[in-house]
Amino acid sequence: MDVKEKLSQVVGTDAFFDDPATLQAYATDYSYTPAGAPNYIVKPGDSEQISQVIKFCNENCIPVVPCSSKVHFYGATIPKEGGVIMDLEKMNNILEIDPDNRRVRFETGVTWEKLTQELKKEGYRVIMPLTPPAQRSALTDFMEREEPTNQVYDYGEPLAAMEVVWPTGEIFRMGSASVNGYPKSHSKGGNPSGPGLDFYRFFQCAQGTMGVVTWTNLKIESIPQIDKVLFAPITDLDYATDFLYRILPRRIGQEVLLLNNVDLAAIIAKDSGNFEKLKASLPPWTLILVVSGLKRRPEEKIAYEENFLAQVIKNEFSDMKLTESLPGFPGLGGKILQILREPWPADKPHWRNQVKGACQMLSFHTRPLHAKRLVAMVEDIASRHDYPIRDIGLYIQPIEHNRACKPEFTFFYDPDNAEEKAAIRALYKEAAVALINEGAVFTRPYGDLAPIVYERATSYASHLKRLKKTFDPNNIMNPGNLCF
Amino acid sequence: MAISKENYNVLSDIVGPEYISDDPVICEGYRSGPGGYENGLGYERVMTKIPGCVIMPSCTEEVQKIVKLCYRHNIPYVPYSTGFYGPRSHPHVEDALLIDLKRMNDFILDEKHFYVEVGPGMVYSPIQEECMSHGAYVVIGGGGAQASAIANLIGDGWSPLSHRIGLPHRRILGTEVVMPDGEILRMGSLAQGGDDAFWGESPGPDLRGLLRGYTGLRGCLGIVTRMAIKTLPFQPERLEPTGITPNTALALPEKRVKWINFVVPSKEAQVKAMKEIGHAEIGGAVTKVPLFWRAIAKSTCKEDFWDIWGKENEETVANFHIVRVLLIGFTSEEQMEYDERVLMDIMEEVGGVARRTKPSDESWIKNADSAGMWLMCGGYVSVDYVIETMSQAPEHGPVYADLKKKYTPPLMPDYGDPGWFQSFEMGHQGYSEFLVYWDLDDDTNAVDQFYVDTSKMNIENRFYTSLLGPHQPLYLTGPKYGPNYHEYLLKVKDEFDPKWMSHPPVPLSHDIFVDRAPWMENMKDWESPEDLEKRGYKS
Repeated sequence: MDVKEKLSQVVGTDAFFDDPATLQAYATDYSYTPAGAPNYIVKPGDSEQISQVIKFCNENCIPVVPCSSKVHFYGATIPKEGGVIMDLEKMNNILEIDPDNRRVRFETGVTWEKLTQELKKEGYRVIMPLTPPAQRSALTDFMEREEPTNQVYDYGEPLAAMEVVWPTGEIFRMGSASVNGYPKSHSKGGNPSGPGLDFYRFFQCAQGTMGVVTWTNLKIESIPQIDKVLFAPITDLDYATDFLYRILPRRIGQEVLLLNNVDLAAIIAKDSGNFEKLKASLPPWTLILVVSGLKRRPEEKIAYEENFLAQVIKNEFSDMKLTESLPGFPGLGGKILQILREPWPADKPHWRNQVKGACQMLSFHTRPLHAKRLVAMVEDIASRHDYPIRDIGLYIQPIEHNRACKPEFTFFYDPDNAEEKAAIRALYKEAAVALINEGAVFTRPYGDLAPIVYERATSYASHLKRLKKTFDPNNIMNPGNLCF
Repeated sequence: MAISKENYNVLSDIVGPEYISDDPVICEGYRSGPGGYENGLGYERVMTKIPGCVIMPSCTEEVQKIVKLCYRHNIPYVPYSTGFYGPRSHPHVEDALLIDLKRMNDFILDEKHFYVEVGPGMVYSPIQEECMSHGAYVVIGGGGAQASAIANLIGDGWSPLSHRIGLPHRRILGTEVVMPDGEILRMGSLAQGGDDAFWGESPGPDLRGLLRGYTGLRGCLGIVTRMAIKTLPFQPERLEPTGITPNTALALPEKRVKWINFVVPSKEAQVKAMKEIGHAEIGGAVTKVPLFWRAIAKSTCKEDFWDIWGKENEETVANFHIVRVLLIGFTSEEQMEYDERVLMDIMEEVGGVARRTKPSDESWIKNADSAGMWLMCGGYVSVDYVIETMSQAPEHGPVYADLKKKYTPPLMPDYGDPGWFQSFEMGHQGYSEFLVYWDLDDDTNAVDQFYVDTSKMNIENRFYTSLLGPHQPLYLTGPKYGPNYHEYLLKVKDEFDPKWMSHPPVPLSHDIFVDRAPWMENMKDWESPEDLEKRGYKS
C-alpha cells in the first residue's frame, strides 16, 4: 500500500492533503527559519488515528511533524526532512471542566480563544503567558514552558496528567491518568508524575520530537472578584528589580511584569502611527502589578496587599510611584487587564508582528540582579549590528517570587527585506552566544539557538540522544530539531 | 563474586584507606534492620544482604571514579545516604559495594533566590534551621528531619506543608547525577557548563524525568551528587525551639504562624472545608491525620499508647472528624488576620468548631518526626501515599481500611481508621496516606501478602497509587498503568544501565521477592518472564 493510500485510509480522504498549495502553507512561519515543505498533511481526529499514522510512519521511516497551532514563531513545525505534517486542529475538544478539583482536560488543538472563553463561562481562568495568539494551541504553550505572567502560585507548573502517543505508535497515559479505565475512575488526572518515571518531563520543550501529546489536564483558577492594576514608571531597572525582590516573596499580586516602552507601545497601540507616538511618550520601563480580591472577602485581600505595598514604598522605596494610572495614560488599567487575561485577538495582527511584519525573539532565564547588565550587553551588540537600541522590544517576566526572571528581547523586522532578515539573524546569533557565555540559561533552543546551546551542553545532549533513541529508534518525530 | 583485593586497593586509592572497609563488623552496621521502615517483613528477610564493602566518597569526582570502576569490573553498587527507606535502600545482591554518601554534605543557601544547594549527605534539619533564619522554609518529608534531602526529593518529599506545592519534583533545580556507567549528567542551569544551579529546566526535553517517577527509583538509575532545591518564602519571625528531648517543639509567633484544630460534624464537612480552604487560596497547611496519631502524641511509651488507644472503638473513630489548619502570615500580620477571617467563614459554613490548639509545632515544620510510628508495635510502613485529587483522596482510605480487616491480625487493630488525607496545591490535588503497623514477633507473612493485595485493590478500583516502579511487582502493576509503563521503564534502565550494576535487581526486586518467597506463591496471579532473576542482574 502506498503512503497516500494508507494515510487517507487512516484519517479519511477529507483529512488528507498533498496538493502543493496546502503543502506550501506549512512550509514557513513567522521566524526566519528556511522554508521546508512536507510531502503530506494529515488531520487526525482522535488518538487512535494518531497512533495508526505514527505506527505506519515508524515502520516506513517517514518523518512526522506534529503541528497544533495556526501561529508559529520559532520554525519548530517547519519540516526539515519532509514527511508528514500531523495537523491536530481537529483535536479541539474540551473534554471536561471539573470545578471541584479546579481542573480542565482538553485536546491539543484547543486554542487559547476556545479555552479561555469556555472557562470564563464557568467562572474560571488559566494562568497564561503574555498575549498568546488566540488561534495558538494552549497545550503547546504549556508544553513549551511559556512563562505565565502570574507567578504567585508556589506550585508553578499548571500541567497535570496527560496522554501521549509514543514514536512507535503506542498510546500511553501519564501520571494519575494512567489508571485503567481513566477517566471513569477515582483518579482524575491531578498528578502528572509517573508511573515509573516522570515521562511527562521528556515531552516538555521537545518540539514534537518525543511523540504527540493528545490531551492534557491543566489547573484552572477562579476568576478574581476585584482587580486593581497598578503601574509604576521605571527609569532604573535595578531599582525595579530590588523592589520586586522585596515584595514578590511576600506573595503580593497576581500578574506582574516589566515592559519597556517599545513592547508596551506595540501592545497598546491602535496602529503604527499611534505606536511611534506611544513609544516616544512612554517611560523607559513600566512595572505592571495586578492585585486581586479572590473568592472570599475580596476587598479585604486587596486592602492587606495595598497596605503592605504602601508601607514598603514609604519606608524603603520612596521613588517607586506605584499608582492605578500611568501618568499621561488614563484608562490604561482596564485595557491592560483585558490584555493580560485574554489571548491576542485573532482578527488583529499580533503586536509582535504589527510593528514591521515579523520579529525575532530571544529569551532566557537568569537571576533578576543580572538583568540590567545583560540587557545592556545585548543593546551594545544590537547597536554594533546597526539595530537601533530605541527599537528593541523588552519584556522581563519575574518568576517564582522573583527568584529568577525571563528577559525577552524582540527584534522587529520586515520579512520581505532579505538584508534586514539576514542582519537580524546575525544579531540574534551573536547575542545568544554572548548571553550564554555570561550564564544566561536557554531552555527552549529553537533553530539557530540549538547548536549554540548543545555545543555547551554536550553531556546533556548525549544523554538526550540516548533517551530519544530508546523511544524513537528511527528518529521519525520531527527530525532536525534540537539535537536530534 | 567478592570484591577482589586489586579492586579494593584501587577503591582505597580513590577515597583514602580510612574511608573504605570490608571489615564484616563495619559491613554489619549497614544491615537493614531494627528501627527501619518495613522492618522485619519478608522483603527485608529475602531480599537484603549485608554489603561486601562500604566506601565513603567525599565528592563527585570520587563517586564517578568508583562507579566507573564498578562498571568496568562488574561490581554491583548501591548508593546510600541516610537509609531511612529501610530494606529498599540496602544491597539486594551478595558482595555489593555500598556507596555511603554521608561525607558529601556541602550546603549553600541563596537567600535572595530561594534555593539551597546540597550534597546527598545533607539532612533536612540544619537546612530548615538555616532557611527559617533567612525567611524561607522547606517541606520536610515524613521520613524525618534526619533524612537526606536529596534522597527524600528523588524518592518521596511531601508533608502537610505541601498545601502550597505538592509535587516535590517541582522543587528540584540544577542537579548533577553520576549515571550508572559513570558518565556525569548535569541538569538545569548546570547543563550548559556553568556552575550556577539556580534553575531547574534544561535545554529541550527535561531529563529530570529520569530522577524518579511519582515515587523514587531507589538508586537504580545513578547517583545524585548535587542538587539545588527550591525553598519557599516564609515569614520573618523566629520560631523558638522549646522543651527537652524528646519533648521538643517550636514556639510559634502567634501573629504570624498558628495551628488551629477544628472539629467538624462529618466527613463530608471535613472534605468540603479542605476544598474551600484551597479554593480560597489561604493557609500553609490543611490536614486530617489518623486518630491514632493523637494517641501517639499523648503517649510516652508503648503502654501509654495502648491505654489511650484501647479506649477507642469503631464508632468513636468513625465519628471523629478533625481539620487541622496552619495559618502563616507570609505577607504581614494583616494577611494572617485576613486568612483567619476567611477560615472562620468556611468553618461556620461547614459547622466546624475551633478547639484549643497549642501555640507550638511539634512535628511538621521542623522535625517531621516519624519515630513515633514505631512506638505501638515495632513495625511500620506507609503502605500508600499518593497525590491525586480531592476526588480520590477521601475515597482511598476507606477501601484500604476495608481490605485491611482481612489482614488484622497480624496488622494492628486501628478500628477502621481510614488514614490521612488532605488537600495539596491549594485544592488542585488531594493526598491520601495509609499506614499499617505490626508486631515483629508475630508471623508477618500476611503483611507481605497484604502489601501486594493493595496493588490489586488499587488496580481494581482504579486508584492512582505510590506503589509503582520498584515498590511492587513491576509485572503486576506495569500492564495496568499507562498501560505497560514497565516496558518503557525497563527500556530506559537497559539503555542507561545495560549491565544492571546500579542497585540490582531494582526495579525488578519486588517481582523477584514474590518469586522467591514461598508464602507469596498464592498471591501471584499475573504473568512475568521466567528469566527475571537473570534479567535483574547480568553479572
